[in-house]
Amino acid sequence: MNVLIIEDERSLGLEMAGFLGKEGFVVEHAWKKRTAEEKIFVNNFDFILLDLGLPDGNGFDLLKIIRELPGRDDAIIVLTASGGLDDRIRGLEGGADDYLPKPFALTELLARMHAITRRKHKLEMNKVNVHGFTVDIGNRTVNFGSERVALTRKEFDIFNYLVLNKNRVIPRVSLTEHVWGDILEINSDSNFVDVHVKNLRKKLSAHAPADWFETVRSIGYRINI
Amino acid sequence: MKLQHKLTLYNTATKIAIITILGLLIIFFTNRVSLNHLQQRLIDKRDKLVANLSDEEIEDLLKKEASFTDYNILKEEYIILTLTVEHPRDVPVFTQELREIDQQQQEYLIISDVFVYQGRVFKLEIGETMEAVKQLESTILYFMLVVLIAATCISLFADLAFTRLLLAPFYYIIEQKLNRVDDPIHYNYTPTATSTDDFKLLDSSIGTLMKKLSNLFATQKHFISNISHEMLTPIAVLRTRMENLLNDPRVSEESQNKIAASLKTLDRMKSVVNSLLLISKVENNQFNRTDEVAIGATIREIFEELEDRMEVRAITPDVKLDHQFHFSGNHALMHTLCLNVISNAIKYNKTGGSIFVTDEMTDHEYRVTIADEGAGMAPEDIEKAFNRFEKLGTSGKDSHGLGLAIAKSIATFHQAGIAISSEKSIGTAVTLSFPVAVLTS
Repeated sequence: MNVLIIEDERSLGLEMAGFLGKEGFVVEHAWKKRTAEEKIFVNNFDFILLDLGLPDGNGFDLLKIIRELPGRDDAIIVLTASGGLDDRIRGLEGGADDYLPKPFALTELLARMHAITRRKHKLEMNKVNVHGFTVDIGNRTVNFGSERVALTRKEFDIFNYLVLNKNRVIPRVSLTEHVWGDILEINSDSNFVDVHVKNLRKKLSAHAPADWFETVRSIGYRINI
Repeated sequence: MKLQHKLTLYNTATKIAIITILGLLIIFFTNRVSLNHLQQRLIDKRDKLVANLSDEEIEDLLKKEASFTDYNILKEEYIILTLTVEHPRDVPVFTQELREIDQQQQEYLIISDVFVYQGRVFKLEIGETMEAVKQLESTILYFMLVVLIAATCISLFADLAFTRLLLAPFYYIIEQKLNRVDDPIHYNYTPTATSTDDFKLLDSSIGTLMKKLSNLFATQKHFISNISHEMLTPIAVLRTRMENLLNDPRVSEESQNKIAASLKTLDRMKSVVNSLLLISKVENNQFNRTDEVAIGATIREIFEELEDRMEVRAITPDVKLDHQFHFSGNHALMHTLCLNVISNAIKYNKTGGSIFVTDEMTDHEYRVTIADEGAGMAPEDIEKAFNRFEKLGTSGKDSHGLGLAIAKSIATFHQAGIAISSEKSIGTAVTLSFPVAVLTS
């Protein structure tokens, strides 16, 4: 899948590209609105990551241009540093598929991209197999063989996020932010996420050993597949 | 005490004092004057009597009773002439005495004189009643009292009315313009109508100060908004870079730990910047107030959201809301406000404690109180609780001290009040008060 990153902050664009490259995406950059327009006209993209504040123009205008192109179905994720509710609403109403306020976690970006892909293609990959456990993302259930593993909503969210970002250490902060949202004061003590992880692991271990569910000391968690 | 009342009281008191002093002086002087007149009259009479004394009269007097007494019919005056062995006097003596004449006691001014007439020494006493003087005195006293009471009443009302009129612009400035302003942006800059130069000066000085203040506030808010925005992009760069590093297999475990710690610090920084941005946006009125907000529903929603966090600390919510209160506001902001308050009630509660949510409706306010059973706060901390970056006894906990500052600015944005009452080791209660008239109209 190919991704166009429209972002004037070079180092941020390059970090995103590095991350997405490892995930198997083919990445192109546009550092300005003008170059972005050119690339959009020339190519179809599976994903366009659009920064709203560009040096030579407004990202909203680009959003409008892309949406007015006939026969195009590029998924657009709006990225902005203004963090405002109004920008979010304007972005989504303008035809963006999702919205991520800066600073976002790369793993969160990946999760959103996966969600969009599933939504767009109504994928059969809605089910993921993890060491004998089947995660049904559409129905939000986890089964071990034919047995249902009863997880709470939060436990499912945690498990799903870790599975989606498999083989990668997920810091507690990112996990908290994903599951509980970007609530300002609330996330300050992020350790309560441990309680949920502990419960989740206990429920999984009741069916089969879960040594693949790793606690990375003082950092966070990782699911190895 | 209000200035108007002080002025009125002062005026009345001085008037009473002046009238009383004047009255006393008048009484004193009229007394003196009428006494003088009486004395003069007595001297005149004595002179006339002595000049007209005839041998015949004297003889008559001596032969008969060795004394001569004469009263006029009304007993206003009397004359006594007796022989005496006293030494003749150069100056007559005046005395004031009570005399009983025909069973009638009256105060008399008496002139007594000892003189020599044809070789014999006589004592002459002429008395004149003081009743007239006394009467005059009591009349003046009575008159004075009436004037005093009348003047006091009239001046009291006149002063009250006048000072009210005079000080009206002053009270307008204080009560309408200053007291009702929570933010210089909302200050009413139209000049107050007054013909008093001092008030004009006061009004314009306050206006100038307010304008300066609101300009400063605006600059500050603008600055915060800009700086927050400019900081979020570099934070985003750092965050993505560190996340990539964290998953780089070439990085040692030790370095990974350090990167994770840095990520946590960065997250803290992000929270601070986002909180400041939020406050600045709320204070700049960059949100709508057009949602129908139901406080009860919002609170229940939050308890549901935070259920897992309460479970961890075995905290039970006890929500008893008797009233349905809706108002137009910003749902997302009210949610954030309640979330911050309830999250504090969880964070600072004792393990196994409760959170009590109660409400009451008064004539003009709807109040919701969220109370915890935590360690409570010291009175001096309560005042500071709404200040930005004020961390009160939370050294052990991760907090950047902006939660209540956010709550405060959101409450102010909705024209609602937020107050803390707390008792050490009993708990802390946060009360939100919504002015019914303002919010439902």
